[in-house]
Amino acid sequence: MTYPAQLVELIEEFQDVDDQMERLEMVFEMADEVVLIPIDDWTDHTRVVGCQSEAHVRVSLDDGKVLMASAADAQLVQGLMGILTIAINGSAPAQALLLSPAFAQEMGILKSLSPSRSNGFRNMFDKVMLEIRGLVE
Amino acid sequence: MALRDDFPILQRMVHGHPLVYLDNAATTQKPQVVIDAMNDYYTQSNANVHRAVHTLAGEATDGYEGCRTRLKTWFNAERAILTSGTTEAINLVAHAWGRANLVKDDAIVLTEMEHHSDIVPWQMLAEERGIEVRYVPVLDDFTLDMDVYAASLEGAKLVCVVHTSNVLGVRNPLEDIIRLGHEAGAKVLIDAAQGVPHDRIDFEAFGADFMAFSAHKMCGPTGIGALLVRPEVFDEMEPFMGGGDMIETVTIEGSTYQTNEHKFEAGTPRIAEAIGWDAAFGWMESLDLKQEHKRMLEIARYTAAELRALGMTVYGRHDDADSAVVSFLHPTLHSEDLAHLLDAGGYAVRTGHHCAQPLLHRLGISSTVRASFYLYNTMEEAERFIAQVKIILERFV
Repeated sequence: MTYPAQLVELIEEFQDVDDQMERLEMVFEMADEVVLIPIDDWTDHTRVVGCQSEAHVRVSLDDGKVLMASAADAQLVQGLMGILTIAINGSAPAQALLLSPAFAQEMGILKSLSPSRSNGFRNMFDKVMLEIRGLVE
Repeated sequence: MALRDDFPILQRMVHGHPLVYLDNAATTQKPQVVIDAMNDYYTQSNANVHRAVHTLAGEATDGYEGCRTRLKTWFNAERAILTSGTTEAINLVAHAWGRANLVKDDAIVLTEMEHHSDIVPWQMLAEERGIEVRYVPVLDDFTLDMDVYAASLEGAKLVCVVHTSNVLGVRNPLEDIIRLGHEAGAKVLIDAAQGVPHDRIDFEAFGADFMAFSAHKMCGPTGIGALLVRPEVFDEMEPFMGGGDMIETVTIEGSTYQTNEHKFEAGTPRIAEAIGWDAAFGWMESLDLKQEHKRMLEIARYTAAELRALGMTVYGRHDDADSAVVSFLHPTLHSEDLAHLLDAGGYAVRTGHHCAQPLLHRLGISSTVRASFYLYNTMEEAERFIAQVKIILERFV
């Protein structure tokens, strides 16, 4: 999988860290990277269904480029949203759709990418990709 | 602790740290004797049961039926149907007994404390048959409202209650629940998935009509469980799944069925799993479960007290008969975040709604972190767990 340059850089940064706790701390810090959906704008439409945490995403096009806004009550999920934001915001939809969720594994953050209640990241990733598809179809 | 040496998985490292497994209410680890028994079956005796006359088939049949015999002895029960687990056992009651005995406007009594597996099958049956489902509320002290329970029995045909809550660890007043249920003319089903790992129940003395539980929560394999049924109620059950092994004769015109437990075990059963479960019982036989229960509860009480001192809300009371389950929440650090951070240090805990959403709704929360202890856990592990929680709070809150 070829990732956008900014994501490759992040993956390498994460791979350089041996301690899992430190790695999680780095993900938590990425939570600030999201384009935040204020809590008052959280709706059933923005909600990531089947997630343990309260997670919300909204994708739109800005001048033909992807603009993902998001928020979660769990720092880890919002941190992963922040990483996804860095990876796809400002990209052409077709390019964003090429992204695989495997980067979260490659970063050493998640063991499993199977969609499930315990995998807020995968549910969130799938919803973002579905919304991008909806915008271009 | 020599007992721990029986569990090879306890030697593994997670993220560079020794595994501290505290997710036992979800599933327990397996001692080497269970792994060996299943391995031996596949390497030496693999064959189908109840059919062929060759040596391997005989060994497989003896192994499979040996598990049933063990269940009957361990629980003092006359009828033991092998299922895929607690969920299938409860669904079997809904289909095999419920469909044959419940009609429109009958009532079933459940509680807010039930696992989804003891709610959803009844909701499905209720919708299909026009049956009323009543729920006994949970009080602020995490116990069932027994006044509402008594009042809800009027006209009820079935009571379904969890033995011990998988979220709270609270052991319900089952003796009263069964007695009152029977006095009202209802049958009583006990979901004992969290009960049998800690308490060696005499099913006949207990008095319930049905008792469902799983092997994997008591050191046995996944994919197998049992439904114990009182003999007179067993006779009220109609076959649910049709197929091989459950029939007596099959002709073009129709079929007749077995009259024993095989009637409810259509198809090739879980042979290796039954053999593994039998080995787990054999392994547990040497333990003083009452003493072990006391020890585990002491660990849970220590953990609950320490977590409270760290500002956590702990859900549960840890009375003498309760299980060693500690559900808790931090006021600001999300349960999922805390669980990931604990995992980074090798600590396996569960988060989420624990398949008990009505209970969590009643408690006004959507998830907890749950640490649940079993036979191989030690006080030293609990102390390390608390130390790790302190480190996390200092670093991330």
